[in-house]
Amino acid sequence: MTKLLQSLVDGLGVGSTYALLALGITLIFGVMHLVNFAHGELITVGAYASYFFFLHGGSWWWMPVIIIASAVLASVLTELVAFRWVRTASPFTLLLTSFALERLSHALWQILVSPKQRAFPKPSWVFNQFKIADISFEVMDVVTIAVTAMTLLLTAVVFKRTLFGISVRGAAEDFDAARLMGVRANRVISGAFAFAGALAGVAACLIVMRSPAAEPSMGSDWLLKAVIAAVIGGLGSFTGAVVGGLVLGLLDTLSRVYLPDLAEGWDKFSTAVVFMLIAAFFVIRPEGVFKVAHAERV
Amino acid sequence: MLEVDRITTRYGAITALHDASVSVNAGELVAIVGPNGAGKTTLLNTVAGLLRPATGSVRFDGNDITGAEPARLVRAGLALVPEHRRLFNDLTVEENLRLAGCTTKAHERRQRLDEASELFPVLRDKWTTSAGYLSGGEAQQLAIARALMSNPRLLLLDEPTLGLAPTLVDVVFDLLVRLREQGRTMLVVEQNATRALRLADRGYLLRSGRVVTTGTGAELAADSGLFDSFIGTAS
Amino acid sequence: MNARAGLVRITRSMLASAVLIAIVAAMATAYTRTGGASRQSLIAEMLSNFILVLGMQVFIGNTGVLSFGHMAFAHIAAYATAIVGIPLVTKAKALPDIPFGLSDVYYGPLGVTAFAVLATMIAGAIFGIAVCRARGLAPTMITLATLFVVEQVVKNWKELTRGAGGLSGISRLEGNTWLWVGAFLALVIAHVFQETRIGRFAIATREDELAAPALGIRLFTARYAAWVVSIGLIALGGSLRAQHLGSVNPKQFTLDSSILILVMLVVGGMRTVSGAVLGTVLITAGNELFRQLGDPQRLDIERFPDLFLGGAMLLAMLLRSGGLLGDRDLAGWMRRRMYRPPPTQAVGERVAATNALAASNIEVHFGGFVALDGAGVAVRPGEIVGLIGPNGAGKTTLFNVITGLVNEQGGTVMLGERDLSSSTPVDVARAGLARTFQNLRLFKNLSVRENVSLTSLVAGRHRRDRQRPDADALLADAGLSEWADRRAATLDYGNQRRLELARAAALAPEFLLLDEPTSGMSDQETLAMVESVRAVAARIGAGVLVIDHDLAFITRISDHIVVLNEGRVLAEGTPTQIRANPLVAEAYLGTSA
Repeated sequence: MTKLLQSLVDGLGVGSTYALLALGITLIFGVMHLVNFAHGELITVGAYASYFFFLHGGSWWWMPVIIIASAVLASVLTELVAFRWVRTASPFTLLLTSFALERLSHALWQILVSPKQRAFPKPSWVFNQFKIADISFEVMDVVTIAVTAMTLLLTAVVFKRTLFGISVRGAAEDFDAARLMGVRANRVISGAFAFAGALAGVAACLIVMRSPAAEPSMGSDWLLKAVIAAVIGGLGSFTGAVVGGLVLGLLDTLSRVYLPDLAEGWDKFSTAVVFMLIAAFFVIRPEGVFKVAHAERV
Repeated sequence: MLEVDRITTRYGAITALHDASVSVNAGELVAIVGPNGAGKTTLLNTVAGLLRPATGSVRFDGNDITGAEPARLVRAGLALVPEHRRLFNDLTVEENLRLAGCTTKAHERRQRLDEASELFPVLRDKWTTSAGYLSGGEAQQLAIARALMSNPRLLLLDEPTLGLAPTLVDVVFDLLVRLREQGRTMLVVEQNATRALRLADRGYLLRSGRVVTTGTGAELAADSGLFDSFIGTAS
Repeated sequence: MNARAGLVRITRSMLASAVLIAIVAAMATAYTRTGGASRQSLIAEMLSNFILVLGMQVFIGNTGVLSFGHMAFAHIAAYATAIVGIPLVTKAKALPDIPFGLSDVYYGPLGVTAFAVLATMIAGAIFGIAVCRARGLAPTMITLATLFVVEQVVKNWKELTRGAGGLSGISRLEGNTWLWVGAFLALVIAHVFQETRIGRFAIATREDELAAPALGIRLFTARYAAWVVSIGLIALGGSLRAQHLGSVNPKQFTLDSSILILVMLVVGGMRTVSGAVLGTVLITAGNELFRQLGDPQRLDIERFPDLFLGGAMLLAMLLRSGGLLGDRDLAGWMRRRMYRPPPTQAVGERVAATNALAASNIEVHFGGFVALDGAGVAVRPGEIVGLIGPNGAGKTTLFNVITGLVNEQGGTVMLGERDLSSSTPVDVARAGLARTFQNLRLFKNLSVRENVSLTSLVAGRHRRDRQRPDADALLADAGLSEWADRRAATLDYGNQRRLELARAAALAPEFLLLDEPTSGMSDQETLAMVESVRAVAARIGAGVLVIDHDLAFITRISDHIVVLNEGRVLAEGTPTQIRANPLVAEAYLGTSA
């Protein structure tokens, strides 16, 4: 029982980070049908920003601001220099464009800083443990889940209540109709990229607090899981992204913990098993859990 | 108020509109009729900025607006109720209206929302329903209410009665009359040709992307050869 | 397809491959002659990339489905190579617990390659079922998942792979000769595949996912064939590379190498073999150049190639998303130059169409909206029936029901004795109904003649009881002869419409279903269309069901007219009867209340 609860907490921790990233991916897909493989690079940007900030004597309390601001900036910038010019191109072209940006980002950090990991100190309390009824928690678990919950709540409010959020949802459903209502195309797309950047920034904060280091390829692993989470949920669906992220996080953890019980020696194949399940899922339900009817129309 | 001067619009290889000229004066209701594929929707979409004409110009209040961004045109006072309504089905009625009010200030937007709920009592009852669940008549009223949120001086309507039951067609026509009484200028594309022409001050008949005939609404409606020219046997 | 035509195709593919490989060889010789022996290893790297890129081209280039997972199969092939290509003594030490009785299997180079290719193709054939069944983004995601599955298995199945350290001591192929042979073979296979019927079908599915099934091409079959051939080439590339290096490790074929190969394909132009070749040469060379740019003394700057890869891909996408070559292709050029109209010969018996087409009591609801409410239409063999009605009357929906794109909630569709009510578009097309689309769905990047001859190929396979119409004759009927070699997308609008007509007719159908064939045409073009439709229908002996809003066109062309309004049949009769019917005028002009 303790083992189960423990792994649920772990799974939700990882899963909520996936969810934040998947939410950004699904948001961008909604407004321009781009599966943004460069989205994970925003984590890298945030990590390097905090590395430099720390080099110049920054304090931990300001770190989140720096990380989020840099991720927002980078996200808006990618739209401005690259995606804007292929906005009407095929999804294939859009996807490869984002891949190119991902490669470029790797290369730039390797050349500008170093191919090697650059570590910086972390706040001392992150891995402090405390117990509630036999289950030991780390402070970071609580922080992760609380921050994610707050961010998701804030996201829900923005997209339910604010004019910006409603415009983005409208534009995601029918871009031309939104333009006819006076929504400025460039502004709503930039806004969506900024928001996705902020979500990635929050994710980056959580990642960096756990392992305070910057590395050129650190975004890629997160990205792949996040893309898969977004597609599992149904690209374009907000709820789907969150559900997809959490499911993937739980699946990750539970398979690692429980697979050896089912079949001895199989724990080393846990990732393979998870990916097999995912592949099987896509065969059965290619459009994801929450099918978005208008996602097909271009 | 609006002068469309000899515009030609193409979709890739398709020329949907040839040298079409249309004008609308302040306070008028102008009807555009013609068979499917005549280029009526293309004409409205070109005026509203969704399409860019290959040649020709569009002027609104004397300013050249050829190929301008729709968002700019809405701010200049021109709004389109698009073909098939194109509501945001995932958004509630209120959200549809708020989105459409994005060009106005917050207090003005609240005022317009109140006006809309007064003018369209049907919508008031469905305020928090997703637009996707509205019936055809409700949806059409929302589409018009949505276009009115920016308080346009010129309202373009594309097939506002398409797919509606006869009684609902009456509702929409009554609405057009009321809007005209409020002094709203309108350019309407309509499949109920005779009825729209009777209501209109002036009308244009389009066929194969060209303006074939023009005249006062009553003249065109009374023309016994309308059906023939409509379906093209006269040419 | 007769034997002679097949021979011509193979000869042409060999010739094109020979020219391409000769160019590459000349460049390689010039390069190696001016430098040391280390330059040979760059050539070796390029050649194995060459095979891998061509492998990806066969699937991605022909089907338009993006895959990240091809390198997973290069991985499988490389390990299969190691497992049977390491001398027994070495193997006993490296893999003491090897399962499946593989401990005393050791083959020579040919045997090793054959084993690796076969084993990989079996694995590929299994994964391919999932990849080719899925739609949209799902296939891409499945390939990505495949890559990780294989990577983890390779890392962890230590009994078979020795884990992270990899395996070495594979009997090596000396020199680059075998790589050159492999590259040539890959070129020939990639070329030949594009010439085969199934290869042409795969290309059709890439060009239009909706039009291809409507012409009788099954998406799955076409994609699956491309997938299996493609995995075969990838296996060849993976195996040869392993035999060249003499070792394998889990880092050899990862997502990074997938992307490298993908960049080569995309930058050169994925749709053609020539593009794939150009891309491989350019990117391999550029990569090497940027590698040397980095200062070898400072390990920090060893990753300029990533900069080059990202930059090259970004520039290609922003400036030329079809790649440098787009649709320019040596083999394609030769095909057009060598084109000889086939001798007119009767293929199959010409049998007059005897079946009638009847859709009756069709009901379709979309949510609460009733699109069709008991509408129906009947067409006798060889008859031309016009279907008219105001906007939103349900004409196109009725078409979609007949051709299997929309499922009806009630009613039946019969072709003669055959019930087509719940058939898929592919089966409907093969049964003998060929349609055109309201908003034009040509195979845009193919030539005008290829658009028609592709459908001819379907007819040759699935409509054998009918005489297969001659593509050039159909083009002549449609007035398109002089543009036969142009890319379909470059035709003007009227001609694109006529091409859709000719393409549908090439299926040798019993009925042609034309959805608004004159929309957007001028009056003169419309008149000409009457003649085109009649000529084409007469040549193939088919009946016609045509939707149009232009009553002048409909009355001229139809024997019989059906008027739909609000999902029901409002009236039907001869053109004269319809013109005189006051109900029709009312439906068109609106109630004069």
